Amino acid sequence: MDEQARAILQRVIRKIPNKKLQTALRAWDHLSSEQLESLDYAQPKWLFLENLISRCEENRLSLKDVTKLEMAYYIDNPSKGTWHAYQLFQAEGDAVSVNFTQFREQLKAHLKDVVRHVSVRTKKLEDGAVWIRIAWGDNFSKPNHLKPTYVVHYLQTSYVFVLNLMSKHKPFLYQALLLSTRHVSIKEAQLSSRSLTAMRDLLMRQYQQVFPTNQERTLKERNAPPSHPSIEKEHAECAERRHQMACEAFGDGVLPKLETAVYKLETKYRGNSNNTLNDKDELFRGVVMFSSSNLLESFRHCVSAGMAEGPVTPLLSSITQKGRNSFVITDKVPGAASQTPAHKA
Amino acid sequence: MATVKWPHFFHFSAPHSVVNTPAHRPDTRRSKSYGRSCVEPPSLFWQTPGHLTTLGHRIPTSRRAAKSHNITTKVDPEQVALLIKNEWKLSHVTPLYRFRHTQLKLYSKHLAAFIIAEKQQGVAVEVGVEAGFKVTFSAVLGIAETKEDAETVFIQVHSKPLFSADTPKAVWRGWLTCVNGDPEYLRSLPPDFVSLPLFCSSGPEYLTALVKSWFERTFDCSFGSLYLNSTMLNWLAALWTGCHPTSNIRYLKLAWNMPSQPPLDIAYTVNPQDAWELWNSIHTEDSTDDRINIEEVQLFMNGLEIHFFRHFKIYLSAGTLTKVSTALGSAHHDGKIKIGSSDYITTLLTLLTECALMKTPV
Repeated sequence: MDEQARAILQRVIRKIPNKKLQTALRAWDHLSSEQLESLDYAQPKWLFLENLISRCEENRLSLKDVTKLEMAYYIDNPSKGTWHAYQLFQAEGDAVSVNFTQFREQLKAHLKDVVRHVSVRTKKLEDGAVWIRIAWGDNFSKPNHLKPTYVVHYLQTSYVFVLNLMSKHKPFLYQALLLSTRHVSIKEAQLSSRSLTAMRDLLMRQYQQVFPTNQERTLKERNAPPSHPSIEKEHAECAERRHQMACEAFGDGVLPKLETAVYKLETKYRGNSNNTLNDKDELFRGVVMFSSSNLLESFRHCVSAGMAEGPVTPLLSSITQKGRNSFVITDKVPGAASQTPAHKA
Repeated sequence: MATVKWPHFFHFSAPHSVVNTPAHRPDTRRSKSYGRSCVEPPSLFWQTPGHLTTLGHRIPTSRRAAKSHNITTKVDPEQVALLIKNEWKLSHVTPLYRFRHTQLKLYSKHLAAFIIAEKQQGVAVEVGVEAGFKVTFSAVLGIAETKEDAETVFIQVHSKPLFSADTPKAVWRGWLTCVNGDPEYLRSLPPDFVSLPLFCSSGPEYLTALVKSWFERTFDCSFGSLYLNSTMLNWLAALWTGCHPTSNIRYLKLAWNMPSQPPLDIAYTVNPQDAWELWNSIHTEDSTDDRINIEEVQLFMNGLEIHFFRHFKIYLSAGTLTKVSTALGSAHHDGKIKIGSSDYITTLLTLLTECALMKTPV
């Protein structure tokens, strides 16, 4: 192993918590089971690393193999940074027939066309996800394996998820993705999260959808009839109505675990009618950020508990309906929608 | 009546106050306050149940607008620099018994010895090796505003490296202050008591605990956590926003926590100019003595909450206002503050002194 391979291995091992080391090395599948058992996972990291390096040298492992370890760890632990979603548009006729081998070869070739030193590693998982690790260099420097970009794409879908992409590399990745997936344009989807799974579920609708026709029946089954059919009934009806409105906006089941949503408000002041600011044409600017360990569930609970007024405002329900968590809100101008899509500058 | 947890010093302080202080009116109240025991004659306190503190009914409904003044003209800029940019955890402190600003050097030695002794409890140590800590007490002259305010005291704990020749590193900082404290209350204190009701600390929890415990033993006082309720946070939001024309507040950021399952955090950052215009549409500035009323503060916060509601239909009033911040400073309801600019330090400390005094049993 050369100096660089050791440095990267050290970096990767440091990132992995002690209790996950064994699983990560097993998933990597580059050491024999005897070698894996001979390692003491309770050792301090520096000592463990020494022993690990000697095993790697026995097996003549190289930098390439070390990057595979990092990739295996990220695949098992994707919530290690903020992922951003991108959407592909205008699929060309042959887009549906792109297979993994084609995609991989094309992507590599297109990236190498524009960036002389680039290292690309790909892996297709059982669920169809294609994981791509890109270490960027330029004409004069070797690929920087310390800050790789990760890209996850499901073939034949129009979504791409990206982690750690520097803006100077964006055009290169855009172009390579468009050419290898056979699309014409690509745009940021205004959705970002630490949870790759939540984003995927939200965009690919892999969570329990809202079926308004079924709602009424299930709700009646769940809510026992009130024992005192006077005031309690009215309360129960209100609660049920709130719950129904909450479910109509966010669904009834387990929701994708989104943590944040950001709204940039560029609207006029809307306060009490007697405030003079109401008459002004100037905007009342601000940014609202919602955060929770499960944002959509929090919203649903806010509505059903009466902390928010129903029906749910389109601003909030847009998160599930449009699969976005970043919005710019402007005032309705005649003939235009109240929410214009955000374009990050 | 619940038993009031009052420290042991009552037993010697009460007779003392009887002997040494003339029996004028404020003193009657003093003896009432420190003497809730059966030997004490029934006082005003017992006749007015519900009237628990003399300060309680004096929560101000109006305040002077925050005015910028360059505090470094009267306070050592180096000392001011220590107060800003740090996050401070707030506590309230009862008056200190026999605290003397002239004895700070002695206190430095005693506190250092106390910390070392507490750290070494049960540990066998080599005799002669002075491991550990150096403490400095210093008076920050000029922070106090009135003649009743005691001068601020700043404490630093440095850890002394055993072997290296490095200069000691500050590991803990804290200060006790009183700015524009209620003059009637301060005058009513017996002569041996100094009120520095606001304690700010920054550093490891165990050192904070040791410092507090040393103060409690030495000056017979008692500490309690100081939380900032939403009224206080509302005041700060309005006071700071009002400063915008003279000192750019850069942003007004308000944070709420909604008790949903799971809890929802909402952060609303308002453009400073727009926030000020809303404030300006509510607050009418009179030229002589610029005062702000609580009604104006509430209108301002309501104005922001309504604008938010018109968009998201979420009732912020169902949640808790947890934090207010601008470039001038930030305050968290769990009792943590940051001072962003020294120019408005007096306004902030006046407000916090008031909070701390309100918590002091009288």
